[in-house]
Amino acid sequence: MAGGGAPVPEGGRGKKKRPLDAVINVVPAIDLLACTISFLLFTAVWTQISRLQVQTGGTGGPPAAEEKRQIQVTVTLGDKGMVLSTSAGVSLEIPALGKGADGQPQQDLKTLAQKLKQVKNEYPDQASLTVAAEDGILYADLVRVIDTAVGVGLASVSVTAAG
Amino acid sequence: MAIVLPGRRPAKRFADSKVVGGKMQHGRRTVNADLNVVPMVDMMTMLVIFLLMQFSATGEILYMQKDIKLPDAQHGQTIEVAPVVAISASQIVVSGQKVAEVAEVERGEDFAIPGLEEKLRDEKKRWDFIHQNDPDREKNWKGDVNIQADQKVPFRILKRVMYTAGQAGYFNVNFATLDQSNVAAVARTD
Repeated sequence: MAGGGAPVPEGGRGKKKRPLDAVINVVPAIDLLACTISFLLFTAVWTQISRLQVQTGGTGGPPAAEEKRQIQVTVTLGDKGMVLSTSAGVSLEIPALGKGADGQPQQDLKTLAQKLKQVKNEYPDQASLTVAAEDGILYADLVRVIDTAVGVGLASVSVTAAG
Repeated sequence: MAIVLPGRRPAKRFADSKVVGGKMQHGRRTVNADLNVVPMVDMMTMLVIFLLMQFSATGEILYMQKDIKLPDAQHGQTIEVAPVVAISASQIVVSGQKVAEVAEVERGEDFAIPGLEEKLRDEKKRWDFIHQNDPDREKNWKGDVNIQADQKVPFRILKRVMYTAGQAGYFNVNFATLDQSNVAAVARTD
């Protein structure tokens, strides 16, 4: 690989100066790159999997001393929609948007996110939330609700059975 | 990088010499050619950078299975090493070993799943054995378990699995999801 050098000037006495252009041997660099690419291709993880951490009902939650500015927030997840209730006396129904192609209810996650944001703004120290799910609720719906809660800032999620 | 004809040829320092270099040509046209490898090196560098960005030092903790389709999540954390309970539409598998049939679990009256509990207790015993010389063993026990369930698995199965995991000492349940945080970040910038 040669660099584009300037033309070699001729000396006053007709003597040629030694060219300053240098040839770099790129073969070792190509070898190294080829080996690195092979290694990275073999070890590549194409599917990125993450986790949503939850506690099973009744076992999670911070100690009582830290619960000064906190309330109990519960999202009950059912076939007809969700019910957001707090120990401060709020109880709000969030009906499902309808049935999906697979016959499963489509939960209104946008409204849930808005309402949870309101709760979070009112109680900034609040970090815990309980999701109570009915038996027929699918894993995908449960994960979406937990994901929405974590996105709002309620990261300590407990999951329990409704009823 | 030069491509040269095999056989005798003058040394590099004589190649330009009219006296020595020309003697070996014997009047033939030279077939030596220079191959420009710069674009190839550029492409390989780009490939290395892309693959390095994809690289994960933790490796694959969960293996994707044909019968398990994970739901998406945008706010998940990095997955950690823990026993994996895989729940498909037909069976429950722990660390590659089948412990129960989903249909049997649904029919069963007992809330706990005996095969799963036994397997998880074995996993805990193994962890205890590995950490037997650790004085803070009890403190370091986090009780993490990864649940890799198909997105259509109903909660009535999940709650039994979670209950059984709790019975075996695994209270911190991690739901495995497909990480969509990059997609969410791109959507926010748009």
